[in-house]
Amino acid sequence: MIDFIQNTVDGVMFGSSYALLAIGFTIVFGVMRRINLAFGASIMLGAYVGTWLHVHYQVPVLVVALTTIAGTVLAGIYIERLCFHAVRRDAALASMVSSFVIWMQLEEASIHLLPERTYAFPGLFAAGAYELGPFLFRAEQTTMLVVAAVMVGVLHLLLHRTRFGVALRAISENPLAAAYMGINAAWVVLCAFALVSMVGGIAGYAILATDEQITPFFGLWATFKGLIAMMLGGMGSLPGAIVGGLLLGVVEANALWYLGTEYRDLSAFLLLFAMLVLRPGGLMGQRILGREELAFRRV
Amino acid sequence: MLELSGLSKHFGGVKAVDGLDLTVNEGEIFGLIGPNGSGKSTTINLICGVFAETAGTVRFRGDLMNGKPPHRRLRAGIARTFQNIRLFPNLTVWQNLWVAQNSRQDVATQGFLPRWFGATRRTRQEIAGLLELADLGHKDDELASNLAFGEQRRLEFARAAAARPKLLLLDEPAAGMNQQEIDDLSQRIRRVRDSGVTILLVEHVMELVMGVTEQMAVLNFGRKIASGTPGEVQRDRAVQEAYLGTAGSTSRPGEGGD
Repeated sequence: MIDFIQNTVDGVMFGSSYALLAIGFTIVFGVMRRINLAFGASIMLGAYVGTWLHVHYQVPVLVVALTTIAGTVLAGIYIERLCFHAVRRDAALASMVSSFVIWMQLEEASIHLLPERTYAFPGLFAAGAYELGPFLFRAEQTTMLVVAAVMVGVLHLLLHRTRFGVALRAISENPLAAAYMGINAAWVVLCAFALVSMVGGIAGYAILATDEQITPFFGLWATFKGLIAMMLGGMGSLPGAIVGGLLLGVVEANALWYLGTEYRDLSAFLLLFAMLVLRPGGLMGQRILGREELAFRRV
Repeated sequence: MLELSGLSKHFGGVKAVDGLDLTVNEGEIFGLIGPNGSGKSTTINLICGVFAETAGTVRFRGDLMNGKPPHRRLRAGIARTFQNIRLFPNLTVWQNLWVAQNSRQDVATQGFLPRWFGATRRTRQEIAGLLELADLGHKDDELASNLAFGEQRRLEFARAAAARPKLLLLDEPAAGMNQQEIDDLSQRIRRVRDSGVTILLVEHVMELVMGVTEQMAVLNFGRKIASGTPGEVQRDRAVQEAYLGTAGSTSRPGEGGD
């Protein structure tokens, strides 16, 4: 029992980073009904630029963190311009395919920067752990949880209390009416991409600092985890992304403990499979499905 | 104020609007009527920039509007309401109004941070005024989707007014309203006009059009068949034929522009 609780605690902590990745997917999907497959790769590019600076110029760790975030934001803007802004509104599939192409491009760019192998990734502070009763908490993971909670709070305030967030939600509910009301959707969407890229960059840094290494598979890994967590929670739902991320983390942590390393990712796929069969809309997806239906009726 | 000349929109072989000339003067309440499928909604959509015209020009206060996207036209001062309500259902009433404040004046006078990340006292006062106009002051925190039908209509009207338009296009605002609501609407339209807004009213409901407009035009098959004051139009033979005779009552195959 103590093992299970310990695993669950670990899972929630690590799952908070999955939640941030899922938020990146879910906000883009909620507003544009499109999936940005290159999201993970954009984080990877940012992290590679940061690592490259660290390896070649020994910049301080704080600079690595800021470079990772800034690089991800720039890559996110690049993706938005090429795959989303330039592709017609009704061509969602074309956007997805082109974002896959950009994924490959960003991954190649990263690998050219630091040729294919694993590099150490610096954390902001030395790894450590502390005990509370029978449970062990890793400092980096606790930081990750705190960072994720703060980010979610900030995002919630942004989406509900600022004109930017309200405009973003207006566009997601009725893009045509939003255009007539004078909302410049192109600009708001670009800002939304920059915003979720920033969230992604912060999540990416926290994950890599916990792993203490970076490999060329990070882009693929981040896209997978984010997409799975989003689908578990329900596409387009912000609370869903959080619940999906935490659930994924908990299931993975327990699979890792009870079944072994090789079952960690397999358990994630099994979980997604079960969810898609039992509740295709995801945990919090019902309302979204209803709204989707409304949107279709409106057309 | 608004000048359409030779305006045409063809969908395939269907001439939804065909060589329309129309002038709306500043401060007017101008009515645009016509049987179903006569091209009224297409005209509104052309003025707002939903789709590109096949031929002709739209001029607003002397500026050519052709090719400008809807949000630029709104900034120039053209706002509209919709025939079927298009509110933002999961935003509150207050947020529906807030998010629509995108006039050139709003964009220019509010600083970037207060505009996008906060609400100034003046913004709040203006929204309070709009809520009062729509008689929704007590429902500002309600989700738009929870409003009754009539309240949604009023909110849409107020939302269009939130953009400080110089020209307000009303697309069948009285559809589904009872007499009391139509009277309230007439008053609201006059009130907005008196605050300096020109109004182009597209409507089926004759009491409203005849009661509130000063100048009007009648469309049929995408063409203007009559114009003048409501009294003149009512006596026009072509209009009587379009509405009562053979031309208006038979359905026209393939007419899909409305």
